[in-house]
Amino acid sequence: MSALDYTRQEMMAIATGREIKDGELAIFGVGLSMLAGYFAQAHHAPNVRAMTEGGVFGATPVGGLPWGIECNRLSVNATSFTNALDALGFLVGSGRCDVGIIGAAQVDKFGNVNTTGIWEGEIGETYRPPKTRLPGAGGANDIACGAKRTVIMVTHEPKRFAEKVTYISSPGYLEGGASRDRFGFPGGGPSAIITTLGILRPHPETKEFQLDSWFSFSSVAEIKANTGWDLKVSPDAHLVPEPTESELAALRRVDQTGALRKKG
Amino acid sequence: MTQNKLIPLAEAVRRYTWDGMQYASGAALPIGSDAVAFGRELLRQGRRDLHAIFHCSSQQLNLLAGAGAATKAECGFTGLEVFGFANGLRRAVEGGRLALEDYSNLAMPLRYLGGALNWPFVPATTNIGSDLQYRSAFAPDQYPAQTKIPTVIDPFSGRAIGAFRPLQPDLAAIHVTLADVRGNSIMLGTEWSRFELSRAAKRVVIIADAIVDPGCIRQFPNLVRIPDIIVEAVVYWPFAAWPQSSPGMYDVDEEHMNLMNKALATEAGTAQYLADYVESYGDRDSYLDLIGRDRLAELARTETAFLLDPYRPWILSPDDVARLTAKGDAQ
Repeated sequence: MSALDYTRQEMMAIATGREIKDGELAIFGVGLSMLAGYFAQAHHAPNVRAMTEGGVFGATPVGGLPWGIECNRLSVNATSFTNALDALGFLVGSGRCDVGIIGAAQVDKFGNVNTTGIWEGEIGETYRPPKTRLPGAGGANDIACGAKRTVIMVTHEPKRFAEKVTYISSPGYLEGGASRDRFGFPGGGPSAIITTLGILRPHPETKEFQLDSWFSFSSVAEIKANTGWDLKVSPDAHLVPEPTESELAALRRVDQTGALRKKG
Repeated sequence: MTQNKLIPLAEAVRRYTWDGMQYASGAALPIGSDAVAFGRELLRQGRRDLHAIFHCSSQQLNLLAGAGAATKAECGFTGLEVFGFANGLRRAVEGGRLALEDYSNLAMPLRYLGGALNWPFVPATTNIGSDLQYRSAFAPDQYPAQTKIPTVIDPFSGRAIGAFRPLQPDLAAIHVTLADVRGNSIMLGTEWSRFELSRAAKRVVIIADAIVDPGCIRQFPNLVRIPDIIVEAVVYWPFAAWPQSSPGMYDVDEEHMNLMNKALATEAGTAQYLADYVESYGDRDSYLDLIGRDRLAELARTETAFLLDPYRPWILSPDDVARLTAKGDAQ
């Protein structure tokens, strides 16, 4: 470890925030992805045009991690309140949104996301209730279909990184290659999966996610061991620069209640 | 024409709801402005077999599902965001007691829009290609599902797109911050989909945190997104969204959000919750006593309180509202 003390969750949030460029039209989901987005705004992307899927514009969280995208911690300094049809439809479904950050319970090697449920084995021909019901697609499906690119944020554990997700809640590159293209989505698909151990990016042709980079506290071997498919390593794989002091300070200003620090 | 549509909450539920109906909540979701109090009253009156239409689940659907009153639901999102999974709903789905048809947070307002415009279907390129399209809890034997989001050909481009089924629920119980006695309503905070839903539903009942003098409506007509002509009845119920939040009015009750969701995780806990927080009050005052007057004062000290400032001069006192309710034309 370096002289700076930070958690894996904080590294994940900072690495995710680095994907957001100044001036972009961006949509953030709830929870940690929202902290990552507003960290980018507080640090290197002051002119990011941020919104949440309920149609809250111009807001920055006050008092810590908002409990939800309609939380008073965001409503307190918004510049416009509209609606979901506006945010997810007019601005995302239309293809205008540059980047969205989404979470995942499970992700597969083509960047397909499951946030709907955990089943024992395959679902089979007849749809049946999951063993564990998860929160569902929310706006992530619409962001995955509509945003020019998406960044997927997920804790790196073998059970979360499957060869193939049981249920596709939000489409990545589907079966890989050009298979996404036949649906004519306005959005381009996931550009990165950012985890508590490193960063995965899609191969330009096969669209299979491969190891792009690791963090100072992780390694190629650890990442491969925690991935549920035979993870390929990019020829250009490299170490991600550690958070700077100013990045950590900005993140902690946004994460006032320490949501990212508690989870180690 | 009915001018004063104020009626008591219990009367609204008696008059406008029935077993097996398609019941929609109008809310800022999943943990914001929502008429959770209306859901409590549905349970108090023993409504069953509800087909719930919720853009996102909220504690209201969590409660209705956990208590076994909803057997079907259509939602875009079914968690409680940072408060975690909705345990009552989750238990009902996992146990096969509630068929949950999954859509997304754009699909639901698109379907309200289709219902509002009386379109035959709504074309879109969202949800397609994923299991939201291929899997149907309402038609579990179809794989891939043909009746949920069928593929149709765009007559202009020739490409395959999704056709979404419009929604026209029997009733929308819509939570708003402010309404006058006719039902002209102002929402503070995001609308989510309350604008489209108010036009899609066959009937609309407004549940307002506060009742305002009509002068308020004439001062801010641009902000009145739900006009009286589409409203059947108005219910005054302060802290109607509790334990969720209402911007300008009160913050989320973090402690009760967790208590409630923990209780709904088990059958015994749910029974206890129903006894303690659904069956235990008689009227508006005893509902507020149950939450606790100190707690209410604390929740009302929200940093968003300034959002309400422009409207405060027109807010009627509880006594005024009680008098108006007693002589409401709808009585």
